Amino acid sequence: MINIQDIRDTARDMLAKGEARMVIGYRRGTRGMLAEPAFITDPAQADDLVWDPTCFNNLSLYLVHDKKFLAHMRENPKGPVAVVAKGCDARSIVVLLQEHYFKREDVYILGVSCEGAGVVDERKLAPLLNGERPSAAAFDGDDFVFTTAAGEKRLAAREVMADRCLECRAPYPKEHNLVFGEDKTGRQLEAPFAALERFEAQDAGQRWDAWSQHFDRCMRCFACRSVCPMCYCDECVVDSITFPVTAGTTAEEKATRIKWIERSATRSENITYLMTRAMHLAGRCTDCGECERACPVNVPIRMLNNKMEREAREKFGFEPGASIGGPSLVATFLDSDPGQFIR
Amino acid sequence: MSEPQADFEPKIVAFLCKWCSSAGSDLAGVSRIQYPANATPITIPCTGAVSPMYILSAFNKGADGVLVSGCHIGDCHYIEGNYLARRKMHLTMELLKFIGLEPNRFRMSWVSAAEGAKFAQVVTEFVDDVRKLGPQDKLRKVVSQ
Repeated sequence: MINIQDIRDTARDMLAKGEARMVIGYRRGTRGMLAEPAFITDPAQADDLVWDPTCFNNLSLYLVHDKKFLAHMRENPKGPVAVVAKGCDARSIVVLLQEHYFKREDVYILGVSCEGAGVVDERKLAPLLNGERPSAAAFDGDDFVFTTAAGEKRLAAREVMADRCLECRAPYPKEHNLVFGEDKTGRQLEAPFAALERFEAQDAGQRWDAWSQHFDRCMRCFACRSVCPMCYCDECVVDSITFPVTAGTTAEEKATRIKWIERSATRSENITYLMTRAMHLAGRCTDCGECERACPVNVPIRMLNNKMEREAREKFGFEPGASIGGPSLVATFLDSDPGQFIR
Repeated sequence: MSEPQADFEPKIVAFLCKWCSSAGSDLAGVSRIQYPANATPITIPCTGAVSPMYILSAFNKGADGVLVSGCHIGDCHYIEGNYLARRKMHLTMELLKFIGLEPNRFRMSWVSAAEGAKFAQVVTEFVDDVRKLGPQDKLRKVVSQ
């Protein structure tokens, strides 16, 4: 069991001693029980930090934002950023380090172990609370305790936990500077890739029927791209911003420009967008599941990433976010890579 | 899936490595080997340079099948391009199959510059397979009138 006071004390000390210029953690949000990201620079605010089952944001995203923000600053503030990271978030940080996005000394990882639990899935929780709006959530052994206007409601964590947490293979931040909580790796509540395997058991026609509906539903709000710490490209392939159309742009220039994906939210363009995103995340996605949570129309985006993750694991023996010095998935190869499909 | 049509001529986009398969297709031509004219060749510097985006984009713009052909393992002009391609194309193929596209719409082959006959055979087989599947309308862009 993690004592939140330990995290607060550490954050306060680090800020007071100047060991970190900012602590990124979670604090009580303004929308019901949900925690929100907190960016703490004043030691007095360290007591705002919380740790509960609604801390689902992958905070490594804000390390990326911070880096982009600093690029536009006149002077570079010194010192690392301390960040509260769950197992999946710590793996995201490892991938960013592997890609040399920032240096190891620029980030101080305050690891938190999810122990026997994980984060809550609001979509699973809503029907179990009979329409009541919880104002707080807390860990309690194998249960989550929700505070509602009608009193406390205790639910088994298994029932309301996000799929990604049920299937999580490593709920412990292996890469860390400091860690809170015990290492309970191997406490799988469900087999890894269970949701993926259930879906894959269907035949191709059924799979297409399901996916074509998902692709039709996508409205290209790009929430999945915005919450993803791996989607850090300054220019995404779906935005043609390097081709500004001005009054002087000729019709020929417009006609011959490369346009991989149209902006319209039609099925074919959504497919190209979501599939390209899955390819770009192959070997990089650490299954934090934020894309799927953020999706307003419930496209199971995580399943595409899971598919790539499982292929990489089974066929190439590749584990994303395993080590900082390791190679990336598509920039390396083995003699034993499968080639039977090639004529 | 649409019904097979008797007069259906599949459109195939063939990404051919300039060091081998592209020369292989030339050899098939100068050797006067007969094979279907459905494949539109696009010469690329190396199969390792084929982004999965090219394949998705080809399907998006109306290809019924996509062929990627390069040098045999160990023969890459850039030493390791085809090894990298093998990995990337495997992932792309698995993803396409996962969402329910017919596996026979995407094909990869190793054809050297000396294998004109093999090139003709690969294209013939692929065109036959795609013809059986009918037009590809899953990933195709629908252009409103």
